[in-house]
Amino acid sequence: MDDHLTPDQERDALAAELALGLLEGQARADALRQSLSDPAFAALVAAWEAKLAPLHGEWADAEPGAAVWNAIERRLADAPADKVTAIETRLRRWRAGALLSGAVAAALAFVLITRPVPSPVPTSPQLAVARIESDAAGPLVLARYNQTSGLMQLRIHGFEPGALAPELWVIPEGGAPVSLGQIGHAGEAEMTMPPPHRLLMTEGATLAITMEPVSKTPHPAPSSAAVASGKIITI
Amino acid sequence: MRLAAALAAVGRGDQAALRQVYDLTAAKLFGICLRICGERASAEDVLQTVYIKVWERAGQFDATRASPITWLATIARNGAIDWRRSVAGRAARDSLPEQAAFAVADEAPRADQSLVAAEEGEQLHRCLDELEARTRACIRSAFFDGSTYAELAEREKVPLGTMKSWIRRGLMRLKDCLGDG
Repeated sequence: MDDHLTPDQERDALAAELALGLLEGQARADALRQSLSDPAFAALVAAWEAKLAPLHGEWADAEPGAAVWNAIERRLADAPADKVTAIETRLRRWRAGALLSGAVAAALAFVLITRPVPSPVPTSPQLAVARIESDAAGPLVLARYNQTSGLMQLRIHGFEPGALAPELWVIPEGGAPVSLGQIGHAGEAEMTMPPPHRLLMTEGATLAITMEPVSKTPHPAPSSAAVASGKIITI
Repeated sequence: MRLAAALAAVGRGDQAALRQVYDLTAAKLFGICLRICGERASAEDVLQTVYIKVWERAGQFDATRASPITWLATIARNGAIDWRRSVAGRAARDSLPEQAAFAVADEAPRADQSLVAAEEGEQLHRCLDELEARTRACIRSAFFDGSTYAELAEREKVPLGTMKSWIRRGLMRLKDCLGDG
């Protein structure tokens, strides 16, 4: 019955479905991926949220328990410490080398060194470059990725410290976002990528960063639009 | 408006202002979380996360694009839906008794005129009223209960494709009725 929809209408219907929350599983993950990597699609989702907004006048109020505010206050107070712990835990989980901290240079780009995954010995390593950035003068990330060793080095700049932590995602072409874990607000980090994740670091894949609640394990799907993104380009 | 001023202060990192925003809006946002999550403990966990997001994102709030309460309600609803779609959320919902979702969703609107612009609400309701009753009830249940296509199809006892087609056509008609402006 949807046969008569044009591609534009199809896209808009998908945006409406995501805004309304009708999707689940893979379909939801795919739509979230699209809203992360495609600002025009994200704008369609926002437009549907705005269209439906008057319904927000109909919710019945309910009083939360007093413990909720106390928990919020605690989380605000603990947030910075939690974040460091979360990063360190994640890096251990990845059998990471080391987490370095320090000030970051101003000029930043996302630089990846990759080579074709299946060949065990690199004959001609490829350099891949992508800028992970936002429209405005927002966050930027510089990374270097060596496919031979699986070592990813990050330089992180421009995230405002707060309750949410930047989470790095790799989005394969036509696939769902896969979390690479949360990173710091600023500074440098090194991690050894586990083999399954190495397969995703290919030409044309998108790297994106969303702000997510602090978590000791990678989130299954992003909960909000990307604050910065860029494609992996091999050169 | 007090809420707009408090939200702007939160955007500047003022924790006392977050308490003000909480006092002004917690009952409404908890109502959203409770309705979609279906039980208090999870709804309270989601509510916590919602205000942490508000704390983090208040600086990005754009008053020209949404009213403060719409912006907050959207964060709460999306947070609750994320929880429902998570593994924990699905498990918790499966253990709940079947709820009378349609009956609740079709209750007479409880207008909250001080918080949500009345005019826009009138137009949306007029356009919703033009839809087939069954389609309207399903769209409302998706909004207020966080129902998925699969859940709606099961409740209405129609194939998934049929439900998808009803709702998609309903949403496109709704869009035409509202105009693109």
